[in-house]
Amino acid sequence: MKIQRRIRRRPIVSISAMSDIAFLLLIFILLISLINYRREIPIRYPEAETIETTHGDKNLEIWIDPTGATFVQGFRYNITGIEGIIVERIQQNPSLRIHILADRDTPYRYVHGVMEILQRLQHRVVSLVIREKKP
Amino acid sequence: MRISIRRRRGPDIGESGTLSDLAFLLIIFFIVIAVFNVNQGFLLGLPSPDSKRVVQRQDLLRVELTSVGTIRMNGEPITLQDLTKKAFAFRQNRPNMTFALRIDPDTPYQKVVDIVDLVRTLDVDNFSFSMETVR
Repeated sequence: MKIQRRIRRRPIVSISAMSDIAFLLLIFILLISLINYRREIPIRYPEAETIETTHGDKNLEIWIDPTGATFVQGFRYNITGIEGIIVERIQQNPSLRIHILADRDTPYRYVHGVMEILQRLQHRVVSLVIREKKP
Repeated sequence: MRISIRRRRGPDIGESGTLSDLAFLLIIFFIVIAVFNVNQGFLLGLPSPDSKRVVQRQDLLRVELTSVGTIRMNGEPITLQDLTKKAFAFRQNRPNMTFALRIDPDTPYQKVVDIVDLVRTLDVDNFSFSMETVR
């Protein structure tokens, strides 16, 4: 009697499942980056040598262009409007990190205006966003 | 006689792993882009608006910034390099030094950042800055 031998198949790892996972990850990261979408105002960043990471868990960015115009999330506000936004956002999250992104040529009075609001609101910490000076 | 034509099969896009490679490259791209959004700069602690501190006159280093960005130390114009040297010498003699900076409202923001950068390098505990018209 002839005994039939069972031919062993080589184990195969299917790569098609891998691409599915990769695409799911891709969609996830795309959505996250859409949520964290940052509307930038064209400014020339000031530069310094001793900088540190100032990013917090929750952040509010206040942009000031060279003319002193103030923006939050791409929308222009006057100083009263900025104060209203800061108050609202601090009420929602007291540990909010506030960043001032001002152009290097912006007159200091506009930066000081935002810092005065924070002082009035007893918000003790402010981040001045600066780029690293390249030697 | 019937000749059977053997058709060559191209590589299956799902099986070959090209899709997953592409997806992973895109994921890396988005992660790198997200890292670029981290803010860097100075983290400043703001005092309350009515806070006052008594310091000894000998410990006080007065620096002014004019509207055009000229630096003055104790009323005399000085370059940033010279100020750095003098401030370091002052700091060695007076460990409890207070760096008092008076900034004109029209001073370009970069000039203010330069001085704050210097103060951070000096590692001074007492740093006060105010906005006043500097003549």
